[in-house]
Amino acid sequence: MAALLRSARLLKCSPALLLQVTGNTRHAPAAGRLYSGAVGTPHVGLCVQQRGLVKDEPSVAVRSKQAQQFDWALAKLDSSVRRTGRVTKTLLLHIFHDICRTGYPSGNQALLMLRSCGSLLPEVPLVERIELSQRIWDKLQELGATYDVSHYNALLKTYLQNEFRFSPTDFLAKMEAANVQPNRVTYQRLIAAYCEVGDIEGASTILGFMKSKDLPITEAVFNSLATGHARARDMDSAEGILSVMKGAGIEPGPDTYLSLLNVYAEKGDFAKMKQTLEMVENADIHLMDRDLMQVVFSLTKAGHQQYVPEIVERMHHERGYVPDAMNLCLSLITHGHEETAFSVLKSFTGLLVQSQTSDSPDLGNFFLRHCVNMDKSVENIVRFCKDLKDSGLHSSPLQFTLQCSLEAKKTGMAVELMRRMKEEGVPLRPHYFWPLFTHYQKEKNISGTLQALRAMQELGVASDMDTFSIYILPSFPSVDSARTSLKEAGIDVDANILIAAELRAEASRGNLAGLFSLKPLLKSPLHLLLQITELLCKDPRFNSTEPETSENVAYFLYNLIDSMNETEVHSKEEQLREYFGLLKNMNISISLNIFRGIRNILESYQVPELVKEIACFHVVKYGGCWSVTSHHSKPVVSICVSMCVVELCLSHQKLERALELKILYEADMTPAAYAMLINLCCRHDNAEEALKLKMELARKDSEVALDAQKYVALVRVLSKHGKLEEAIDMLKEMKEKDVQLRDGTISLLTLTMNTAAMKGDANSIRRLQEAIFTLGLAKPSSNLCSPLITCYLESGNYAGAFDATVEVHKQYNQMPKIHDLICGLVEKGDAELLQNVVEFLSQERGEMMMLYDLYFAFLQTGRYKEARKIIETPGLRARPTRLQWFAEKCIAAQQMEPLENMVDMTVKLFECDRDDMYHCLLRLCKETNDWQKAEATWMKMQEENLAPRERTLRLLADILKNNDKEVPFEVPEAYDMLKEAGSTGMVLGPAPYDTLIKALLAKGNIEDAMAVKNIATDHVPEFSLSDNANSLLIVSQVKRCQMKDALGTLKGMLQADQVPSQLAITRLVQGLASEGNTQDIQEVEALVKTLGSIKLSSMLFVNNAALAHIKNEDIDSAVELLQSFYIQNTDNQKSSISFVFRKVLDANNDAALDKLSAMVERLCNHFASYRAATDLFLMYLDTGRTEEAKFLLQVLCCILLPVQAAKIKALSELIPDFTEKENIYSHLVKCCGLDKDFSSAKALYERMQAEGVKADELTLKRLALLYKEAGEPVPFEEPPESFSFYADKLKKQRSESMEPADC
Amino acid sequence: MLHSQGLNMAATAAGKKVFEVFVSKVPWTVATKEVKEYFRQFGQVKKCLLPFDKETGFHRGFCWIGFTTEEGLQNALQKDPHIIEGARLQVQKNRKPFSGRKSNKEAEDN
Repeated sequence: MAALLRSARLLKCSPALLLQVTGNTRHAPAAGRLYSGAVGTPHVGLCVQQRGLVKDEPSVAVRSKQAQQFDWALAKLDSSVRRTGRVTKTLLLHIFHDICRTGYPSGNQALLMLRSCGSLLPEVPLVERIELSQRIWDKLQELGATYDVSHYNALLKTYLQNEFRFSPTDFLAKMEAANVQPNRVTYQRLIAAYCEVGDIEGASTILGFMKSKDLPITEAVFNSLATGHARARDMDSAEGILSVMKGAGIEPGPDTYLSLLNVYAEKGDFAKMKQTLEMVENADIHLMDRDLMQVVFSLTKAGHQQYVPEIVERMHHERGYVPDAMNLCLSLITHGHEETAFSVLKSFTGLLVQSQTSDSPDLGNFFLRHCVNMDKSVENIVRFCKDLKDSGLHSSPLQFTLQCSLEAKKTGMAVELMRRMKEEGVPLRPHYFWPLFTHYQKEKNISGTLQALRAMQELGVASDMDTFSIYILPSFPSVDSARTSLKEAGIDVDANILIAAELRAEASRGNLAGLFSLKPLLKSPLHLLLQITELLCKDPRFNSTEPETSENVAYFLYNLIDSMNETEVHSKEEQLREYFGLLKNMNISISLNIFRGIRNILESYQVPELVKEIACFHVVKYGGCWSVTSHHSKPVVSICVSMCVVELCLSHQKLERALELKILYEADMTPAAYAMLINLCCRHDNAEEALKLKMELARKDSEVALDAQKYVALVRVLSKHGKLEEAIDMLKEMKEKDVQLRDGTISLLTLTMNTAAMKGDANSIRRLQEAIFTLGLAKPSSNLCSPLITCYLESGNYAGAFDATVEVHKQYNQMPKIHDLICGLVEKGDAELLQNVVEFLSQERGEMMMLYDLYFAFLQTGRYKEARKIIETPGLRARPTRLQWFAEKCIAAQQMEPLENMVDMTVKLFECDRDDMYHCLLRLCKETNDWQKAEATWMKMQEENLAPRERTLRLLADILKNNDKEVPFEVPEAYDMLKEAGSTGMVLGPAPYDTLIKALLAKGNIEDAMAVKNIATDHVPEFSLSDNANSLLIVSQVKRCQMKDALGTLKGMLQADQVPSQLAITRLVQGLASEGNTQDIQEVEALVKTLGSIKLSSMLFVNNAALAHIKNEDIDSAVELLQSFYIQNTDNQKSSISFVFRKVLDANNDAALDKLSAMVERLCNHFASYRAATDLFLMYLDTGRTEEAKFLLQVLCCILLPVQAAKIKALSELIPDFTEKENIYSHLVKCCGLDKDFSSAKALYERMQAEGVKADELTLKRLALLYKEAGEPVPFEEPPESFSFYADKLKKQRSESMEPADC
Repeated sequence: MLHSQGLNMAATAAGKKVFEVFVSKVPWTVATKEVKEYFRQFGQVKKCLLPFDKETGFHRGFCWIGFTTEEGLQNALQKDPHIIEGARLQVQKNRKPFSGRKSNKEAEDN
């Protein structure tokens, strides 16, 4: 054995170097823990693989998607580990299911999952962890993940961390069977596994393997051996490891001593432990807190917890101590040592206090929760609670623990805890039982419900009506059975409560009919009646502001009265009067119609007292009430003014006109109109006016916010015109109003600063940058930081640019425009400054990155000799992202020379993906359509003996074909290849099939796609299409009008728990609409509702159902649908039906349009709902139907503005060619009449005459009346007949004049 | 009398909830009754809406309190801190009328 070890000295590899490596992992930041423990962890993504033509690998798109998913999962796990040093089982399972659901897991994802199954799960018992890792391993493999040595090593690590006993030889055999070569890490871990059980012989065998393969023996091996000897009860050899290591030239590290400490801890030899700790100190080795925690764990597990406090005292409380200590507590609890865990908890509560944010202390929540989850005895938990409370660490530990046990649905524990609480004098409340009831209700577990009820009764908690109606009754098939069961179980219930609960249960099902069927009950005592009414009022379902539901109370009243006959009413008159009186105090409101109904009944029964009583109720008139008071006509004017402003802004860009209008009708300007105007000002580069308007808007309504784009446009125009402070104020306002910026708007900010850069205004840029970043409107990005550098570069001030670079890096950790800076310096030949820049870069980003920066600058400036020198620097390796960056830059700028040079120079660059390089070169050839260069590239590739990937060959073939050149090689068609692969018996994983199917579907080729699917199913029996592929299939099917198939695909997906894409659902619904299939639209809506998570336009179903009706020439149904949509919910004002209008307009469907515009008018007229009008108006403008738009506006004005004569007048002036002036004027006169505004009417008449507008008789009649009322002589001959005569005549005339147009 | 009631109703119909506060961070141990009792000290409470999550059986930690008078509202807003059973409530003027928005239940460990 010793001889075997001593030979380690002879190894070529320097142990010091290896130690450094292990040392690094130990001190790596928390995020690194995910990857810790493995020396030589493969660097994912950096390895270059020369791939053959057909290989089991996903396409670029799939890979990039997988990379994204990987990043997302990594980020989630990473943040969890960073914050807490652990991962919860829920999170891990969530990510696991996500990976499974979204298709084919990548190797990276598999690795990530496996690595999280060990000690990162302190809350999970070992057995469960082992099961979990095994499950993940099997499932991902089944889904097509390919495992390499890194996966096997990761699995081994979880075995070790989870103390799983396995046979290392079997493991090796398994690897061999999978054709995966074990590496040094594998052997190290296998040795560790043998040592865990004290099997030195086994360990030696593996050591022999390592030696025969010339693998270095590292510190980790010795550490394992120390443990191994100790476990084999050979303490002498264990202790001897130190000298053996020294003999082999390996310095013992912290882990070596830790192994020894653990060994002593297991033996309970505290004297030796102390001695070892001293040795550690003398050797100037630092044991971290986390190491000592391992010792604590070992001590406790071996039953020597009496030494724990002494070890705990030695902790340094380093950064990250608290989460580590919490994890130790959790692990201890999981392993059944909650007592020790509690003493550890108490040792660091002082540290927890610092992070305490709430007013009342609640330390140790994590501890209590885990005790609950691990089913610790209530006895112990209560003791911990008492201790926490007595020492002032937690204000209500029992309540918190109860909450945890309720959340975990642990009835027994919860009830027991409540018993203790009661003993302590803590009040118990009915709702404490609700979580238990919901649980039983879901399970329809009646005995559970009864059991909880009995506990409730025993604890003396009175069950109230809510408890019964919401949580108990629904568990029973009927109220009667509930009553019987309760009785049988010996549970006393107040009969009244039960009845009330019953009513409530009916009501909450929205079942008014059911409610009325209980009417006999309503003849019960007054307090019950009241209770019921109160229920109806209080239940949010019935108490909303929506007219439809708030009427329920009123309906109830009506039905109550209606159900009583005259004698009953008379006999109960007193009671009812009292009841009404009480109701009045409850602020019940009833609608006019119902009020009339009730009143009529009561009047017919001749109970005037009651009629009087009921007249005192708040009577609300729904709909149409806008015309009653002037208050309500306000939105009407606003919408007209706004529409005009919008029209002027949008279609005519007439700023001046719009401004004029605004000045006239300032009071009626809506925020939206202001926003439009402001934006128009910005577009016209009118900073003064924009700012003025913005301030005005703020004065009117300080709450209102513009959208992000308009704010940024404002910022831009302000800063452009030197109004920097105002611009910054706008940014601040955006922050205050929580305006979210999108990428597009952020680039507008960059543009804003670039404008300043062109003017050389560095100060403005700095201020704007500072504001944007400190306010958090956008995260510092390279783009946002670049204008400052550009500012200096533009003026050739390189020193300034460098200073700015340093500044930006320091402040925002960004380094934009570095390439431009270096290029500038290289061209200028400023060696001194270049030296400074290079030093700065090496320091901040490392030498490797600096070398690349320099390399690209030399390439860019055509200094190829220098560039080559740089790229040949020994030790330099390929950085794919950086190479790609430069290549993309060249392709975008169509710079062939530097790109070609780069490709040539990187031939020998370590780990350079040659295919990638040539692919870039060919892309540029394709851009410039340079087939000769492409052909030359093809030659070079052959020279290099490179097997290009399929995409590269395809690209090359494309270029040649486009130039009518012969393609000197066969371009593989994926489909053909697959068929071929199938016939040659080659076995592929599911991923390539899926990719190919998606590619075929993207071209709409369903037949081939299905053929591939069949091939796939033949080879991979459990093959099924992924979410994406199925979504594409739906889209293709819809495109081909195979609606039934598409719907079938959707159903299949939902059954398989897949999530269809938003696009697929949208296309399907639109497709159904175009076939007029309303029924299936409803079905899809119902199906999709169950998904919940998917983001769909809220109007998708409404709009398309309407279109389907229209398609069926059932326009009335469409109108009914849309109309009720707007009437039923005032929130729906936000939703647009433009889509419907657009479709109808596009189809020139006049019949539908007529009815729809009638609906629009009706909505405005009767329901004060303006959204549809706005949509239609804008759609007219959009589609260039200005005439119709004007007409609509006019009609709306006429309908809506009976009392706003002056305003219409002004509007008609502002819209210059307002047609049908007669019409307008007649309405104006009518308005004046209603307003009794004689002077306006007089002016109007004079104006009509001046303009030569002929007044109709009805108008003249009205005018005459006004003149007479004002006591002035009528200046024309008053038409002799009555008002109604002329009104009828006019109507007739109009309908006649319409007829010819219809023919 | 009737007239002013009419106006009041018009305001309600227009969706303007008057005299209402929005209360968050309500501890799980208290229910409607307790919250109502607590707020009674500031004025007559007309309405107390503490939505419970029927999936979990716990309330969502926030509620709306409607006072009958402006005075009640102002009294409640002026008081700080609001402590109920040792927990500090967050009380603010209600801006949006009640709509069944969902809370994201955060699992907090420490």
